[in-house]
Amino acid sequence: MSDLQLEIKHLIIEALGLEDMAAEDIAADLTLFGEGLGLDSVDALELGLAIQKRFGIKIDAEAKDTRKHFANVASLAAFVSSQQTA
Amino acid sequence: MTWLSLERQLLDAHPGRAVCADLDHAALRQQALHLAGALKARNIQRLALYLEDAGELAIALLGAWRAGVSVLLPADAQPQTRQRLAGQCDLWLDSLADLDLADALPLAGAALDLDHCQLTLCTSGSSGEAKLIDKSLRQLSNEITSLEQLWGKQLGQATLLGSVATQHIYGLLFRLLWPLCAGRVFARRAQPFPEDLQRESLASGKDFAWVASPALLKRMGDNLDWNALRAVRQVFSSGGALPAETAAELQALLGQWPTEIYGSSETGGIAWRQGGELWTPFAGIELGQDDSGALKLTSPYLPAGHSEQTADAVELQADGRFALRGRLDRIIKLEEKRISLPMLEQALLSHEWVSDVRLGVIQQGRAYLGALLAPSPAGLHALRNQGRKTLIETLRRHLGEHCEAIALPRRWRLLAQLPYNSQGKLAQAEVERLLAEPRPTAVAPLSAVEQNSEWQLELEVPLDLAHFTGHFPQTPVLPGVVQVDWAQQLARQLIEDLPPRFCGMEVLKFQQLVRPGDRLQLSLRFDAERGKLYFAYRNGEAACSSGRILLGARQ
Repeated sequence: MSDLQLEIKHLIIEALGLEDMAAEDIAADLTLFGEGLGLDSVDALELGLAIQKRFGIKIDAEAKDTRKHFANVASLAAFVSSQQTA
Repeated sequence: MTWLSLERQLLDAHPGRAVCADLDHAALRQQALHLAGALKARNIQRLALYLEDAGELAIALLGAWRAGVSVLLPADAQPQTRQRLAGQCDLWLDSLADLDLADALPLAGAALDLDHCQLTLCTSGSSGEAKLIDKSLRQLSNEITSLEQLWGKQLGQATLLGSVATQHIYGLLFRLLWPLCAGRVFARRAQPFPEDLQRESLASGKDFAWVASPALLKRMGDNLDWNALRAVRQVFSSGGALPAETAAELQALLGQWPTEIYGSSETGGIAWRQGGELWTPFAGIELGQDDSGALKLTSPYLPAGHSEQTADAVELQADGRFALRGRLDRIIKLEEKRISLPMLEQALLSHEWVSDVRLGVIQQGRAYLGALLAPSPAGLHALRNQGRKTLIETLRRHLGEHCEAIALPRRWRLLAQLPYNSQGKLAQAEVERLLAEPRPTAVAPLSAVEQNSEWQLELEVPLDLAHFTGHFPQTPVLPGVVQVDWAQQLARQLIEDLPPRFCGMEVLKFQQLVRPGDRLQLSLRFDAERGKLYFAYRNGEAACSSGRILLGARQ
């Protein structure tokens, strides 16, 4: 597991108040929204803000379906690193 | 574009009159009449619709009403909801494609009868049961007519985009029925995320308006093209309170105040405001209060002669406006979702692991629910043998069949029993205070008696001790180091002049595991001459642990 994935897992737990979760409970490919971790669209909004703030990146409002990067921790980590190097 | 009233929607075709970007009125009417024929052929009387596409929903509503079918709009599509509503409908559609139209003949165009066409909305009732609210088409028609009179000019030919679902009254009226009658284009899909809402807005041409909610407006972020978005004709917000600072930020960014709508599924719209604290009632609404100060009203959007009592405390002003002062019952709102705490509590109580439970709201970051829960003997067994995590995940899964994810408690506090006061009451404020506290690390003795300079304490190991999480996830066991620590801490509370410094331990013995909920007897004796604190934990007849703690003077 990369450090970035671990950091994102901690961010999810912290930003969304999931006190019964530990980082190791969130597999990198676990679906975050709906099934899987069971987060909702408000969590998606909160997480979007937290990710942008923590990593100093912007979700591109021009691109379609940016939210699909929020499918799981692995896709979020890939999104964050692509934005940071962009 | 001219107003085409709800009752006349299926009378004549209006080719070229836009409904959605890819749907004109003639096509809408033709599809609705075809659907009406199919419903009639199948002898459907009551139809449940859970359609995410507002264009499809418009077709289905009009078609059902044309066929004399009453329509139910469920609040969610959870398995338990489907099951509960099964007796209320002959058919449940999640998509229009689910209904085969091939063999059906369309019905002829006709006017709809405003008083006979029925719609049933679902919401959380205060008793805990989901509540069904019947609306006649006349009530809905009255409301959108008055909305058009207030804001039709302001909106012009704006395309209506929204973040909210059309299953609820606000989205249904503002995103669907109102633009349908006004001849404004409306988006088929809800856009719950700001970037998507911006993209759809800017793609719609220069005129657009938003049917939004506080959940979205509070979290717009700072990466949007606010200059371009200033073209927005009007921003509606409803479903819950919009924080004053959010309203002010939007005013600064967009050059206009959001239009907030206050209302409920039962009443429809009651009042509106654009900045400020005070609400202006819609035309024709008569306001009053009951003895507790809660708002009651009559309205053209309610059945004639009906007075609706709300649980919202209000302060009425001399000029007819009013201020809202909070709910007076246990229905709460999380991100505009109305959640009945009694309903969730009943759902939890139906699980064999639960003996008692109370829910409350925790305000840390986003607001979410917490549960104070007393496990049943079976629940305690599960906790002791499978661990806290299994217990809580099982209960969350159980509850997930009854409610949406947003209502699932994120924080749980396990207690042997809930702390009712002597009147048998447990105030909501106390529930929420307990939920806000961290999980315990200490224990408070149930009793402490001194005899022959030896203390006998009665302890109950808290079910929810923070130490259990890592020790061990599947089988919680009270760590030995915690037992030693408790012995020393409790001795310091009871025995005066104990030397302050911990110097070591002797003859430590751990003979039996101590687990959540165990009732323990702890004996404490201090031998001042040798500077040794003797401790022994027993669980009834069984010795659990014992040892001596060496204490010394400060160095």
